[in-house]
Amino acid sequence: MTDLRQLFDAVVTGDHVTSKAVTAEALAAGVEPLALVNDYMIPAMDDVGGKFERNEYFVPELLLSARAMKAAMELIRPLLAARGTQPIGRVVMGTVKGDLHDIGKNLVCAMLEGGGFEVFDLGVNVAPEKFIAKVRETGARLVGMSALLTTTMPAMKLTIDAFAGEGLRDQVKFMVGGAPVTQRFADTIGADGYAENAPSAVVLAKRLIGVAA
Amino acid sequence: MNGRERILAHLAGAPVDRLPIMPITMQYAADQIGVKYIDYVTDHRVLVEAQLRTAEIFDIDYVSVISDPAREAADCGAKVEFFDDQPPAFIEDHALLAERTSLASLKIPDPLGGGRMLDRIQAAALFKEKVGKDKLIEGWIEGPCAEGSDLRGINTLMLDFFDDPVFIRDLFEFVIEMELRFARAQIDAGVDIIGIGDAAASLVGPQIYEEFVWPYEKRLIDGVKAMGAKVRLHICGNTRFALEGMGRLGCDIVDLDFPSPVHEGRAKMGPDQVLLGNLNPVTILMDGTVQDVLDKVAQCHNEAGPRFIVGAGCEVPRGTPPENLKAMLEYAKGVKG
Repeated sequence: MTDLRQLFDAVVTGDHVTSKAVTAEALAAGVEPLALVNDYMIPAMDDVGGKFERNEYFVPELLLSARAMKAAMELIRPLLAARGTQPIGRVVMGTVKGDLHDIGKNLVCAMLEGGGFEVFDLGVNVAPEKFIAKVRETGARLVGMSALLTTTMPAMKLTIDAFAGEGLRDQVKFMVGGAPVTQRFADTIGADGYAENAPSAVVLAKRLIGVAA
Repeated sequence: MNGRERILAHLAGAPVDRLPIMPITMQYAADQIGVKYIDYVTDHRVLVEAQLRTAEIFDIDYVSVISDPAREAADCGAKVEFFDDQPPAFIEDHALLAERTSLASLKIPDPLGGGRMLDRIQAAALFKEKVGKDKLIEGWIEGPCAEGSDLRGINTLMLDFFDDPVFIRDLFEFVIEMELRFARAQIDAGVDIIGIGDAAASLVGPQIYEEFVWPYEKRLIDGVKAMGAKVRLHICGNTRFALEGMGRLGCDIVDLDFPSPVHEGRAKMGPDQVLLGNLNPVTILMDGTVQDVLDKVAQCHNEAGPRFIVGAGCEVPRGTPPENLKAMLEYAKGVKG
């Protein structure tokens, strides 16, 4: 029988080969896919986030763990979908229009996925209409926007305004982040929340959709 | 004293009539003469005019060729996305070294070969012609981690540190040789100091910084100093884990961004290192009041002691109230060094 603690360890240490192998073995042995997520992967990414906040891990380690988690999730996700298992929430993520910087946004995506969210990552340079289309398609109640430049931050407000223009503002919560972004700016543009780093974005996301952190 | 004399004297530990001020202005400078940023990054004459005007308005002691990190990589053949009124950027999906094996056939571009590097060298020469005796002229090159990210893609490079350390070293060797040639050309054109931007280094943590990044930064800095130029190191972001190492690099000036407290920089780098910074560009300089700026500069100066240059943690943001930038000068004028 597979020692499932290896999955936890593989995600924490960023070993994507082992995380995938252990997951495949466990699924073949009949382990519930949701149990792998809830009992091992979410706690592992939570541990990774804690290490990041304590400066034990830095961006490379976070990305390694994210890769290990994704390798396992690629095997698990189709099974969850087939069983109709619902994520704790759906979130549409993107770097706003005019901005091509994505490493911070990618870290947030990974931590959200590791926190049990289904993440729809639209990538960089995302126009407001793309955010709107994805929210309509997926029914996501949460939109996360990132910007690294002070000159692209206004696109966050334009996106929120575009949702309002489509009559969708009340259906979604907006969270924003990025190096120049502040709580004050988030308040100014009418965003629902601001997070300083990837682990705190998960706490914020859960709060915004009413899930206990 | 003029700006050039003031900075050089301060770096030499000699008396100065006031503290030097060296805030980084790029988009802010373009705005001072009402030009789109794409013109600033593609035409050295526009950059020079904007820098001179900005230095004049705010009595800044230096002028700089800094504009964006995509000069060297563009000349290597990397795909760069240009925007009408903001800095050009890379598209990671189309990174030049998306395949690690491509490095073996990558040629170091000739800085004088007619590309974006030449435009920067021409800016240096024009500065020399116009204000060579009055303002310190700053050239600019990328550090190993930053340029490595530009060529390989920043997300991928972060994984390479674990997946393929040999590739990292080969890549950084390439970068160092290219950047030293670029520095040489700028120094020949008349710059007094070379700024080295190594933004991505703030992401890597202490082990990777010491093992992979610091040795190449050191070689780069030693190389530039051997050419007779001063060196300013600018690493955006939180460098608290790297401060001690940054202090061992032998830079003439070390910039500190706002997440890296000045008192920590001073404690880790010793009393002689000239520190520059670290006003929060957004919350203090752009959104704060004149009094906020004065208070924060005073705090930074107090923490740094006399070996200090007034500046922001990173680029002065577009939209910063002019009176806030002028407050830097106001503070500096009250301090004889």
